[in-house]
Amino acid sequence: MEEKKVPDDGFFTRELISKGLNRLLIISAVILLMGFLLYGIPALQEIPLSGKTTTTNYDELKNGTYYKQQINLLKSDKQSLLRRYNSYTSGQSYMVINTTDNLFYLYRNKRLVRQGHCSTGSFKMLKTEEGRSWVFKTPKGKFRIHGKTVNPYWRRPDWSFVEEGLPIPPEDHYSRWEYGVLGKYALSLGDGYLIHGTIYKRFLGMPVTHGCVRLNDDDLEAVFNTLNIGSKVYIF
Amino acid sequence: METEIVYVSSDRTSKIFAWIVIIILFLVYYTLMTMYAPLKKMEALKSEYAFINDDTDPVDERIFTDSAYLDLLHEKSFLQSRVAMAATDSVYLSINLSDSTINLEISGVTVHKAQMSRIRASNILRGGNNYIVLSMLSDPLIIKKNFSSIEKEPLMIKMAPRDTSEYVPDIIPDTADHETVNFIMEMENGIRLHVYQEDKLKLGDGLCRILFDIYHRFRYTAKTFLRVITFRLPDYQPYIKIRIPRSDAKIIYRALPEKGQIAVYS
Repeated sequence: MEEKKVPDDGFFTRELISKGLNRLLIISAVILLMGFLLYGIPALQEIPLSGKTTTTNYDELKNGTYYKQQINLLKSDKQSLLRRYNSYTSGQSYMVINTTDNLFYLYRNKRLVRQGHCSTGSFKMLKTEEGRSWVFKTPKGKFRIHGKTVNPYWRRPDWSFVEEGLPIPPEDHYSRWEYGVLGKYALSLGDGYLIHGTIYKRFLGMPVTHGCVRLNDDDLEAVFNTLNIGSKVYIF
Repeated sequence: METEIVYVSSDRTSKIFAWIVIIILFLVYYTLMTMYAPLKKMEALKSEYAFINDDTDPVDERIFTDSAYLDLLHEKSFLQSRVAMAATDSVYLSINLSDSTINLEISGVTVHKAQMSRIRASNILRGGNNYIVLSMLSDPLIIKKNFSSIEKEPLMIKMAPRDTSEYVPDIIPDTADHETVNFIMEMENGIRLHVYQEDKLKLGDGLCRILFDIYHRFRYTAKTFLRVITFRLPDYQPYIKIRIPRSDAKIIYRALPEKGQIAVYS
């Protein structure tokens, strides 16, 4: 049986160990340096500003007329700001729509009266080879109810034909009008956006619409009966 | 031969020593520059927001350190900032560090509430009742840049079919989302808001948060490094770091506009 030759221990092994140690040392130094730059420096930066602001409580100052004037001024400023802020808050009925989770909340006199699932914009961008494009998203911010319709018709916009590969008909063509797809009621938010019903109830709670807000029949009826023209709708 | 080996070894040692000295000197310079930056920032804020005394009608400046006065100013500045934002029709954020709440609001109506579980903030913002900081926070903070682990608008591009034969009805969207939600909002005045996902819903969520944090620490360090090696003072960016549940973080990030506004009660 042939014996394998092991390298002579002496110099070779010592050099290997020393090289390894050197590398380990360099790697450790780099890690320490990076740690210092990434974590140590931001922590050190906070030191110069660590002194808490000293607040005082001089009786002599408090008894002066100037102090009282300033405090009263601040109090009245605060009161007027609070009044102004509360004036923004809707006292009437309003609706809140959460487009991330596809939920809606209906309020009457600042009290939650109904909540449930809805469907909002799908965030799909439809593009044609000719370069036309549409983005299907529900706008966010404060809106008002511009109009209310019972048994609404849907006037199909260009994208609804483009989406199905159909030729776009003239503006007043009969194929643009569809009845029954928007449910029993529709509430307009302006710019063509509606709150309406749907025949695709299984998609409620999902982002599937072209920008409108879809509700199920019962929720739609409650919303229709609660909100008036001018009522606010907050979408986020 | 032996003499030569000794010579090479000592030369190498002195080279290493020289490098160590250079690195240490650079680190000292780097540290001093970065530590001076917050003081410079405070000076800049003072020149912008400090009260200027009118010689004809001088004011007793002790009032600006009075606790009752500053408490009222604290509330007023937060309210003032929110009133300014409520005047717009847009979605905005109000952060109350003292009661750990973070609210999405539209025109004065709170549309979403969340509770912060862990809050860390720069000393400049935690200093509490400081006239200059309170004056700065009386205006809404405006978002300049967003960095996030998720998209603001998850757009999906769909090419229109050329005719009805190519038309394929949409399938049910994939509503199961797996991404962790961490984001940073940089304000126009240099303040940074870091929002991290609190809950570990799946394996790797904690690691994603750490990697996201390290990546941005690298980015800020690189920026600072570039300024320091070109002998310029680095920018000091006060920060607020919070942790909230994933669902709240996602809602807040997606709801706020690109250049959204934020009010902070420190």
